[in-house]
Amino acid sequence: MVKITLILALFLNSFLFANVYEKNCVTCHNKLPVSIDKYFYRYLLKYSSKRAVNAAMLKYLKNPSKDTTIMPDAFISRFGIKNKSTLSDEELKKALDEYWDIYKVFGKLK
Amino acid sequence: MTLYSVLCIVILLFISFLYYNFKKDLMLQNKRLILQEYSNDLISRLKDLHINFDKYKFYPRDERFNSAIYDSDRNLIFSTLISPKVKLDEITYTTNNYIHYIKEPESYYLGAKYVLLEIPEDKAWINDVRNKVTIFLICGFSIMFICGYFLLKLFLRPMRDSLHLLDRFIKDTTHELNTPISAIITNIEMIDIASLEDVKLQKKLKRIDTGAKTVSNIYQDLTYLALKNKIISKNEDLDLSKIVLNRIDYFKTLADVKKISFIKNINSGVKIFCDEKKIGKVVDNLLSNAIKYNKISGSIEVILENKKLIIKDSGKGIQKDKIPAMFERYARFDKSVGGFGIGLNIVYMITKEYNIDIKIKSELNIGTQMELTW
Repeated sequence: MVKITLILALFLNSFLFANVYEKNCVTCHNKLPVSIDKYFYRYLLKYSSKRAVNAAMLKYLKNPSKDTTIMPDAFISRFGIKNKSTLSDEELKKALDEYWDIYKVFGKLK
Repeated sequence: MTLYSVLCIVILLFISFLYYNFKKDLMLQNKRLILQEYSNDLISRLKDLHINFDKYKFYPRDERFNSAIYDSDRNLIFSTLISPKVKLDEITYTTNNYIHYIKEPESYYLGAKYVLLEIPEDKAWINDVRNKVTIFLICGFSIMFICGYFLLKLFLRPMRDSLHLLDRFIKDTTHELNTPISAIITNIEMIDIASLEDVKLQKKLKRIDTGAKTVSNIYQDLTYLALKNKIISKNEDLDLSKIVLNRIDYFKTLADVKKISFIKNINSGVKIFCDEKKIGKVVDNLLSNAIKYNKISGSIEVILENKKLIIKDSGKGIQKDKIPAMFERYARFDKSVGGFGIGLNIVYMITKEYNIDIKIKSELNIGTQMELTW
Protein backbone atom coordinates (compact mmCIF):
# COMPACT_ATOMS: atom_id res chain seq x y z
CA MET A 1 0.00 0.00 0.00
CA VAL A 2 2.81 2.37 0.97
CA LYS A 3 4.61 1.46 -2.24
CA ILE A 4 1.55 2.25 -4.37
CA THR A 5 1.01 5.58 -2.60
CA LEU A 6 4.65 6.49 -3.15
CA ILE A 7 4.55 5.66 -6.87
CA LEU A 8 1.30 7.59 -7.21
CA ALA A 9 2.76 10.62 -5.44
CA LEU A 10 5.83 10.57 -7.68
CA PHE A 11 3.70 10.22 -10.79
CA LEU A 12 1.48 13.12 -9.74
CA ASN A 13 4.47 15.23 -8.87
CA SER A 14 6.12 14.69 -12.26
CA PHE A 15 2.79 15.31 -14.01
CA LEU A 16 2.24 18.60 -12.20
CA PHE A 17 5.75 19.88 -12.95
CA ALA A 18 6.07 18.40 -16.44
CA ASN A 19 5.01 21.50 -18.25
CA VAL A 20 6.53 24.17 -16.06
CA TYR A 21 9.15 24.95 -18.70
CA GLU A 22 6.70 24.91 -21.58
CA LYS A 23 4.06 26.95 -19.74
CA ASN A 24 6.21 29.43 -17.92
CA CYS A 25 9.29 29.84 -20.09
CA VAL A 26 8.61 28.99 -23.72
CA THR A 27 5.32 30.90 -23.92
CA CYS A 28 6.97 34.23 -23.11
CA HIS A 29 10.24 33.59 -24.94
CA ASN A 30 8.36 32.75 -28.13
CA LYS A 31 7.29 36.38 -28.29
CA LEU A 32 10.91 37.55 -28.30
CA PRO A 33 12.90 37.73 -31.57
CA VAL A 34 15.85 35.82 -29.98
CA SER A 35 15.16 32.11 -29.77
CA ILE A 36 15.40 30.48 -26.32
CA ASP A 37 18.39 28.27 -27.19
CA LYS A 38 20.68 31.30 -27.67
CA TYR A 39 20.49 32.05 -23.95
CA PHE A 40 21.47 28.49 -23.22
CA TYR A 41 24.65 28.66 -25.36
CA ARG A 42 25.64 31.97 -23.79
CA TYR A 43 25.33 30.43 -20.34
CA LEU A 44 27.20 27.32 -21.47
CA LEU A 45 29.99 29.50 -22.82
CA LYS A 46 30.48 31.10 -19.42
CA TYR A 47 29.58 28.40 -16.89
CA SER A 48 30.42 25.10 -18.63
CA SER A 49 28.79 22.42 -16.45
CA LYS A 50 25.15 21.63 -15.76
CA ARG A 51 25.54 22.46 -12.09
CA ALA A 52 27.16 25.85 -12.76
CA VAL A 53 24.79 26.77 -15.60
CA ASN A 54 21.65 25.89 -13.64
CA ALA A 55 22.90 27.67 -10.52
CA ALA A 56 23.62 30.86 -12.50
CA MET A 57 20.27 30.75 -14.30
CA LEU A 58 18.41 30.12 -11.04
CA LYS A 59 20.17 33.06 -9.44
CA TYR A 60 19.25 35.32 -12.35
CA LEU A 61 15.63 34.15 -12.57
CA LYS A 62 15.10 34.77 -8.87
CA ASN A 63 16.71 38.16 -8.94
CA PRO A 64 17.20 39.54 -12.47
CA SER A 65 19.46 42.58 -12.78
CA LYS A 66 21.73 44.32 -15.27
CA ASP A 67 24.75 43.15 -13.35
CA THR A 68 23.91 39.47 -13.44
CA THR A 69 22.53 39.19 -16.98
CA ILE A 70 24.41 37.21 -19.55
CA MET A 71 22.97 39.09 -22.52
CA PRO A 72 24.79 42.01 -24.20
CA ASP A 73 24.00 45.63 -23.36
CA ALA A 74 22.35 46.26 -26.74
CA PHE A 75 19.88 43.45 -26.09
CA ILE A 76 19.12 44.69 -22.57
CA SER A 77 18.62 48.29 -23.68
CA ARG A 78 16.21 47.11 -26.38
CA PHE A 79 14.24 44.46 -24.49
CA GLY A 80 15.03 45.36 -20.89
CA ILE A 81 15.48 43.08 -17.92
CA LYS A 82 12.91 40.37 -17.39
CA ASN A 83 10.60 40.41 -14.42
CA LYS A 84 11.37 38.46 -11.28
CA SER A 85 10.08 34.90 -11.55
CA THR A 86 7.03 34.05 -9.47
CA LEU A 87 7.75 30.36 -9.57
CA SER A 88 8.93 28.43 -6.53
CA ASP A 89 12.53 27.17 -6.29
CA GLU A 90 11.33 23.64 -6.93
CA GLU A 91 9.43 24.65 -10.06
CA LEU A 92 12.36 26.71 -11.35
CA LYS A 93 14.79 23.84 -10.83
CA LYS A 94 12.47 21.47 -12.64
CA ALA A 95 12.14 23.91 -15.53
CA LEU A 96 15.91 24.40 -15.70
CA ASP A 97 16.46 20.65 -15.75
CA GLU A 98 14.12 20.35 -18.69
CA TYR A 99 15.81 23.28 -20.41
CA TRP A 100 19.22 21.61 -19.89
CA ASP A 101 17.99 18.28 -21.21
CA ILE A 102 16.64 19.89 -24.38
CA TYR A 103 19.76 21.85 -25.32
CA LYS A 104 22.63 20.00 -23.62
CA VAL A 105 25.69 18.98 -25.66
CA PHE A 106 26.22 15.64 -23.88
CA GLY A 107 25.34 12.71 -26.09
CA LYS A 108 24.57 14.87 -29.11
CA LEU A 109 28.01 15.15 -30.70
CA LYS A 110 28.79 12.78 -33.51
CA MET B 1 82.54 -3.01 0.61
CA THR B 2 78.98 -4.23 -0.03
CA LEU B 3 77.60 -1.21 1.80
CA TYR B 4 79.83 1.07 -0.24
CA SER B 5 78.70 -0.59 -3.50
CA VAL B 6 75.04 -0.24 -2.53
CA LEU B 7 75.61 3.41 -1.66
CA CYS B 8 77.35 3.99 -5.03
CA ILE B 9 74.47 2.35 -6.91
CA VAL B 10 71.91 4.42 -5.01
CA ILE B 11 73.79 7.66 -5.82
CA LEU B 12 74.22 6.69 -9.49
CA LEU B 13 70.56 5.69 -9.78
CA PHE B 14 69.52 8.98 -8.21
CA ILE B 15 71.63 10.95 -10.71
CA SER B 16 70.20 8.83 -13.55
CA PHE B 17 66.69 9.51 -12.31
CA LEU B 18 67.35 13.27 -12.28
CA TYR B 19 68.80 13.06 -15.79
CA TYR B 20 65.78 11.06 -17.00
CA ASN B 21 63.36 13.63 -15.57
CA PHE B 22 65.36 16.48 -17.08
CA LYS B 23 65.30 14.87 -20.54
CA LYS B 24 61.61 14.10 -20.19
CA ASP B 25 60.82 17.72 -19.30
CA LEU B 26 62.89 18.87 -22.25
CA MET B 27 61.03 16.55 -24.60
CA LEU B 28 57.63 17.66 -23.21
CA GLN B 29 58.62 21.31 -23.60
CA ASN B 30 59.41 20.73 -27.26
CA LYS B 31 56.16 18.87 -27.79
CA ARG B 32 54.21 21.52 -25.92
CA LEU B 33 54.87 24.08 -28.63
CA ILE B 34 53.39 21.79 -31.28
CA LEU B 35 50.48 20.86 -29.01
CA GLN B 36 49.73 24.52 -28.34
CA GLU B 37 49.38 25.09 -32.06
CA TYR B 38 47.08 22.05 -32.38
CA SER B 39 44.96 23.17 -29.44
CA ASN B 40 44.44 26.65 -30.88
CA ASP B 41 43.27 25.04 -34.07
CA LEU B 42 40.91 22.68 -32.22
CA ILE B 43 39.49 25.48 -30.05
CA SER B 44 38.71 27.64 -33.07
CA ARG B 45 36.85 24.67 -34.59
CA LEU B 46 35.02 24.11 -31.28
CA LYS B 47 34.04 27.76 -31.34
CA ASP B 48 32.64 27.36 -34.81
CA LEU B 49 30.71 24.27 -33.74
CA HIS B 50 29.38 26.10 -30.67
CA ILE B 51 28.00 28.90 -32.84
CA ASN B 52 26.54 26.50 -35.38
CA PHE B 53 25.50 23.73 -33.02
CA ASP B 54 21.95 23.80 -34.27
CA LYS B 55 23.16 23.16 -37.86
CA TYR B 56 25.69 20.38 -37.53
CA LYS B 57 26.96 18.37 -34.57
CA PHE B 58 30.16 16.82 -35.86
CA TYR B 59 32.99 16.92 -33.34
CA PRO B 60 36.15 18.31 -35.00
CA ARG B 61 38.60 15.46 -35.61
CA ASP B 62 42.20 15.70 -36.75
CA GLU B 63 44.51 12.92 -37.87
CA ARG B 64 47.49 14.61 -36.21
CA PHE B 65 46.05 14.23 -32.70
CA ASN B 66 43.19 12.83 -30.61
CA SER B 67 41.23 15.05 -28.28
CA ALA B 68 38.58 15.25 -25.57
CA ILE B 69 36.55 17.97 -23.89
CA TYR B 70 35.50 18.11 -20.23
CA ASP B 71 33.14 20.51 -18.45
CA SER B 72 34.02 22.51 -15.31
CA ASP B 73 32.79 19.62 -13.14
CA ARG B 74 35.23 17.38 -15.02
CA ASN B 75 32.48 15.40 -16.74
CA LEU B 76 33.48 14.11 -20.15
CA ILE B 77 31.57 15.82 -22.93
CA PHE B 78 33.20 14.03 -25.86
CA SER B 79 36.40 12.06 -26.47
CA THR B 80 38.43 10.49 -29.27
CA LEU B 81 41.30 9.60 -26.87
CA ILE B 82 43.01 6.23 -26.97
CA SER B 83 44.69 6.39 -23.54
CA PRO B 84 41.93 6.67 -20.91
CA LYS B 85 44.18 7.94 -18.07
CA VAL B 86 43.42 11.62 -17.64
CA LYS B 87 44.98 14.07 -15.19
CA LEU B 88 43.18 17.39 -15.56
CA ASP B 89 45.37 19.16 -12.99
CA GLU B 90 48.55 18.91 -15.05
CA ILE B 91 49.39 20.70 -18.26
CA THR B 92 51.56 18.16 -20.03
CA TYR B 93 52.15 14.57 -19.00
CA THR B 94 52.84 11.17 -20.50
CA THR B 95 50.75 8.07 -20.03
CA ASN B 96 50.55 4.71 -21.79
CA ASN B 97 52.88 5.78 -24.61
CA TYR B 98 50.92 8.99 -25.25
CA ILE B 99 51.58 12.62 -24.46
CA HIS B 100 48.63 14.53 -23.11
CA TYR B 101 48.26 18.32 -23.20
CA ILE B 102 45.53 20.24 -21.43
CA LYS B 103 44.37 23.68 -22.49
CA GLU B 104 41.72 25.76 -20.76
CA PRO B 105 40.07 28.05 -23.35
CA GLU B 106 38.97 31.54 -22.33
CA SER B 107 35.35 30.79 -23.26
CA TYR B 108 33.89 27.37 -22.67
CA TYR B 109 32.82 26.42 -26.20
CA LEU B 110 30.25 23.62 -25.96
CA GLY B 111 30.77 23.87 -22.20
CA ALA B 112 34.35 22.63 -22.49
CA LYS B 113 36.49 24.01 -19.70
CA TYR B 114 39.27 21.50 -20.35
CA VAL B 115 40.40 20.69 -23.87
CA LEU B 116 42.66 17.65 -23.84
CA LEU B 117 44.97 16.74 -26.71
CA GLU B 118 46.72 13.43 -27.17
CA ILE B 119 49.63 12.55 -29.46
CA PRO B 120 51.71 9.37 -29.54
CA GLU B 121 54.94 9.55 -27.55
CA ASP B 122 58.11 9.58 -29.61
CA LYS B 123 60.15 6.72 -28.14
CA ALA B 124 63.47 7.83 -29.63
CA TRP B 125 64.29 10.06 -26.67
CA ILE B 126 63.72 7.28 -24.12
CA ASN B 127 65.98 4.88 -26.03
CA ASP B 128 68.64 7.58 -26.14
CA VAL B 129 68.28 8.20 -22.39
CA ARG B 130 68.34 4.45 -21.66
CA ASN B 131 71.59 3.98 -23.58
CA LYS B 132 73.24 6.98 -21.95
CA VAL B 133 72.09 5.96 -18.46
CA THR B 134 73.36 2.39 -18.96
CA ILE B 135 76.78 3.63 -20.08
CA PHE B 136 76.83 6.16 -17.22
CA LEU B 137 75.89 3.49 -14.66
CA ILE B 138 78.54 1.02 -15.87
CA CYS B 139 81.30 3.62 -16.12
CA GLY B 140 80.30 5.41 -12.91
CA PHE B 141 80.10 2.20 -10.91
CA SER B 142 83.42 0.92 -12.29
CA ILE B 143 85.21 4.17 -11.43
CA MET B 144 83.63 4.37 -7.97
CA PHE B 145 84.38 0.68 -7.34
CA ILE B 146 88.05 1.05 -8.30
CA CYS B 147 88.40 4.27 -6.26
CA GLY B 148 86.60 2.68 -3.32
CA TYR B 149 88.80 -0.40 -3.45
CA PHE B 150 92.03 1.64 -3.32
CA LEU B 151 90.70 4.03 -0.70
CA LEU B 152 89.54 1.15 1.47
CA LYS B 153 92.92 -0.52 1.14
CA LEU B 154 94.62 2.74 2.07
CA PHE B 155 92.39 3.39 5.07
CA LEU B 156 92.52 -0.16 6.36
CA ARG B 157 96.29 -0.57 6.08
CA PRO B 158 97.14 0.89 9.54
CA MET B 159 94.40 -1.20 11.15
CA ARG B 160 95.52 -4.35 9.36
CA ASP B 161 99.14 -3.69 10.29
CA SER B 162 98.30 -3.24 13.97
CA LEU B 163 96.10 -6.35 13.96
CA HIS B 164 98.85 -8.31 12.32
CA LEU B 165 101.33 -7.00 14.86
CA LEU B 166 99.02 -7.90 17.74
CA ASP B 167 98.42 -11.33 16.31
CA ARG B 168 102.15 -11.99 15.92
CA PHE B 169 102.79 -10.64 19.42
CA ILE B 170 100.19 -12.96 20.97
CA LYS B 171 101.47 -15.96 19.03
CA ASP B 172 105.10 -15.25 19.89
CA THR B 173 104.29 -14.54 23.54
CA THR B 174 102.23 -17.67 23.97
CA HIS B 175 104.96 -19.69 22.35
CA GLU B 176 107.66 -18.14 24.52
CA LEU B 177 105.56 -18.53 27.70
CA ASN B 178 105.14 -22.25 27.30
CA THR B 179 108.61 -23.31 28.42
CA PRO B 180 109.03 -21.15 31.54
CA ILE B 181 105.52 -21.87 32.84
CA SER B 182 105.90 -25.61 32.32
CA ALA B 183 109.28 -25.45 34.02
CA ILE B 184 107.88 -23.64 37.06
CA ILE B 185 104.85 -25.93 37.42
CA THR B 186 106.72 -29.22 36.95
CA ASN B 187 109.50 -28.19 39.33
CA ILE B 188 107.07 -27.13 42.03
CA GLU B 189 105.11 -30.36 41.60
CA MET B 190 108.36 -32.26 42.19
CA ILE B 191 108.81 -30.55 45.54
CA ASP B 192 106.94 -32.21 48.39
CA ILE B 193 105.75 -29.00 50.00
CA ALA B 194 104.02 -30.71 52.91
CA SER B 195 107.28 -32.28 54.06
CA LEU B 196 109.10 -28.97 54.28
CA GLU B 197 109.83 -27.89 57.81
CA ASP B 198 110.01 -24.17 57.06
CA VAL B 199 106.36 -22.95 57.16
CA LYS B 200 107.24 -19.62 55.53
CA LEU B 201 108.94 -21.42 52.66
CA GLN B 202 105.86 -23.66 52.34
CA LYS B 203 103.66 -20.58 51.96
CA LYS B 204 106.02 -18.98 49.45
CA LEU B 205 106.11 -22.10 47.32
CA LYS B 206 102.30 -22.40 47.43
CA ARG B 207 102.01 -18.80 46.25
CA ILE B 208 104.42 -19.51 43.38
CA ASP B 209 102.39 -22.60 42.48
CA THR B 210 99.10 -20.63 42.51
CA GLY B 211 100.52 -17.84 40.41
CA ALA B 212 102.07 -20.24 37.91
CA LYS B 213 98.80 -22.18 37.57
CA THR B 214 96.82 -18.97 36.99
CA VAL B 215 99.27 -17.87 34.29
CA SER B 216 99.20 -21.38 32.83
CA ASN B 217 95.39 -21.27 32.61
CA ILE B 218 95.44 -17.92 30.80
CA TYR B 219 98.20 -19.20 28.55
CA GLN B 220 96.14 -22.25 27.61
CA ASP B 221 93.10 -20.09 26.83
CA LEU B 222 95.20 -17.86 24.59
CA THR B 223 96.74 -20.87 22.84
CA TYR B 224 93.30 -22.34 22.28
CA LEU B 225 92.00 -19.13 20.75
CA ALA B 226 95.10 -18.52 18.65
CA LEU B 227 95.24 -22.06 17.31
CA LYS B 228 91.60 -23.15 17.49
CA ASN B 229 91.29 -23.59 13.76
CA LYS B 230 94.40 -25.72 13.63
CA ILE B 231 93.59 -28.10 16.49
CA ILE B 232 92.23 -31.37 15.20
CA SER B 233 89.96 -33.00 17.75
CA LYS B 234 91.15 -36.39 18.88
CA ASN B 235 87.90 -37.76 20.20
CA GLU B 236 87.85 -40.82 22.42
CA ASP B 237 85.93 -42.37 25.32
CA LEU B 238 87.19 -40.52 28.37
CA ASP B 239 86.76 -41.20 32.07
CA LEU B 240 85.36 -37.81 33.04
CA SER B 241 85.33 -38.71 36.75
CA LYS B 242 89.10 -39.03 36.72
CA ILE B 243 89.54 -35.81 34.72
CA VAL B 244 87.28 -33.81 37.05
CA LEU B 245 89.02 -35.14 40.17
CA ASN B 246 92.39 -34.40 38.62
CA ARG B 247 91.40 -30.81 37.73
CA ILE B 248 89.95 -30.22 41.23
CA ASP B 249 93.25 -31.35 42.61
CA TYR B 250 95.09 -29.03 40.22
CA PHE B 251 93.02 -26.02 41.31
CA LYS B 252 93.24 -26.88 45.00
CA THR B 253 96.18 -24.53 45.65
CA LEU B 254 94.26 -21.71 43.91
CA ALA B 255 91.17 -22.42 46.02
CA ASP B 256 93.24 -22.58 49.20
CA VAL B 257 94.30 -18.94 48.75
CA LYS B 258 90.65 -17.87 49.21
CA LYS B 259 90.03 -20.66 51.73
CA ILE B 260 87.47 -22.21 49.43
CA SER B 261 86.47 -25.80 50.08
CA PHE B 262 85.37 -28.33 47.46
CA ILE B 263 82.31 -30.50 48.04
CA LYS B 264 82.69 -33.47 45.73
CA ASN B 265 79.75 -35.63 44.71
CA ILE B 266 81.44 -37.45 41.89
CA ASN B 267 80.20 -40.77 40.64
CA SER B 268 83.03 -42.96 39.42
CA GLY B 269 83.26 -44.22 35.86
CA VAL B 270 81.28 -41.42 34.14
CA LYS B 271 82.24 -41.52 30.49
CA ILE B 272 82.23 -38.91 27.75
CA PHE B 273 83.22 -39.16 24.07
CA CYS B 274 85.36 -36.08 23.56
CA ASP B 275 88.82 -34.60 23.01
CA GLU B 276 90.72 -34.77 26.28
CA LYS B 277 92.30 -31.32 26.01
CA LYS B 278 89.01 -29.69 25.11
CA ILE B 279 86.92 -31.21 27.89
CA GLY B 280 89.82 -30.37 30.23
CA LYS B 281 89.57 -26.74 29.11
CA VAL B 282 85.83 -26.72 29.85
CA VAL B 283 86.28 -28.12 33.36
CA ASP B 284 89.28 -25.83 34.00
CA ASN B 285 87.41 -22.69 32.98
CA LEU B 286 84.32 -23.57 35.01
CA LEU B 287 86.40 -24.35 38.10
CA SER B 288 88.59 -21.31 37.58
CA ASN B 289 85.49 -19.07 37.37
CA ALA B 290 83.96 -20.73 40.42
CA ILE B 291 87.11 -19.84 42.37
CA LYS B 292 87.53 -16.40 40.86
CA TYR B 293 83.98 -15.23 41.55
CA ASN B 294 83.62 -16.95 44.93
CA LYS B 295 83.76 -15.32 48.32
CA ILE B 296 86.47 -15.91 50.94
CA SER B 297 85.84 -19.20 52.82
CA GLY B 298 83.19 -20.09 50.27
CA SER B 299 82.53 -23.49 48.78
CA ILE B 300 82.35 -25.14 45.38
CA GLU B 301 80.10 -28.14 44.93
CA VAL B 302 81.02 -30.42 42.06
CA ILE B 303 78.37 -33.00 41.12
CA LEU B 304 79.10 -35.54 38.43
CA GLU B 305 76.42 -38.01 37.47
CA ASN B 306 75.79 -39.99 34.34
CA LYS B 307 75.67 -37.44 31.49
CA LYS B 308 75.53 -34.49 33.88
CA LEU B 309 78.13 -32.22 35.45
CA ILE B 310 77.19 -29.48 37.90
CA ILE B 311 79.60 -26.92 39.31
CA LYS B 312 77.98 -24.72 41.94
CA ASP B 313 79.76 -21.85 43.70
CA SER B 314 78.79 -19.69 46.68
CA GLY B 315 79.85 -16.43 45.09
CA LYS B 316 78.32 -13.11 44.18
CA GLY B 317 76.03 -14.46 41.49
CA ILE B 318 75.04 -12.60 38.38
CA GLN B 319 71.99 -10.58 37.35
CA LYS B 320 69.48 -12.56 35.28
CA ASP B 321 69.44 -10.10 32.39
CA LYS B 322 73.20 -10.48 31.97
CA ILE B 323 73.18 -14.29 31.78
CA PRO B 324 72.53 -14.53 27.99
CA ALA B 325 75.60 -12.34 27.29
CA MET B 326 77.92 -14.38 29.49
CA PHE B 327 79.27 -16.49 26.65
CA GLU B 328 80.19 -13.50 24.49
CA ARG B 329 83.89 -12.95 24.05
CA TYR B 330 85.42 -10.21 26.23
CA ALA B 331 82.19 -10.03 28.26
CA ARG B 332 83.12 -9.31 31.90
CA PHE B 333 80.58 -8.33 34.51
CA ASP B 334 82.83 -8.19 37.54
CA LYS B 335 85.76 -5.94 36.81
CA SER B 336 87.14 -6.35 40.35
CA VAL B 337 88.46 -9.77 39.34
CA GLY B 338 91.18 -10.22 36.75
CA GLY B 339 90.66 -11.89 33.37
CA PHE B 340 89.98 -11.21 29.72
CA GLY B 341 86.47 -12.56 29.42
CA ILE B 342 87.48 -15.32 27.05
CA GLY B 343 87.09 -18.38 29.32
CA LEU B 344 83.33 -18.81 29.01
CA ASN B 345 83.53 -18.08 25.30
CA ILE B 346 85.89 -21.04 24.94
CA VAL B 347 83.51 -23.17 27.04
CA TYR B 348 80.66 -22.14 24.74
CA MET B 349 82.63 -23.02 21.59
CA ILE B 350 83.64 -26.44 22.89
CA THR B 351 80.19 -27.35 24.27
CA LYS B 352 78.66 -26.29 20.97
CA GLU B 353 81.10 -28.51 19.07
CA TYR B 354 80.11 -31.56 21.16
CA ASN B 355 76.38 -30.72 21.49
CA ILE B 356 76.73 -30.36 25.24
CA ASP B 357 73.80 -28.45 26.70
CA ILE B 358 74.83 -25.78 29.21
CA LYS B 359 72.44 -24.18 31.70
CA ILE B 360 73.20 -21.32 34.05
CA LYS B 361 71.28 -20.67 37.25
CA SER B 362 72.37 -17.69 39.26
CA GLU B 363 71.14 -15.71 42.22
CA LEU B 364 72.72 -12.52 43.47
CA ASN B 365 74.73 -13.01 46.69
CA ILE B 366 73.90 -16.74 46.73
CA GLY B 367 75.94 -18.15 43.87
CA THR B 368 76.03 -19.49 40.34
CA GLN B 369 75.37 -23.00 39.09
CA MET B 370 76.66 -24.26 35.75
CA GLU B 371 74.97 -27.44 34.56
CA LEU B 372 76.34 -29.45 31.65
CA THR B 373 74.29 -32.26 30.11
CA TRP B 374 75.15 -34.40 27.11
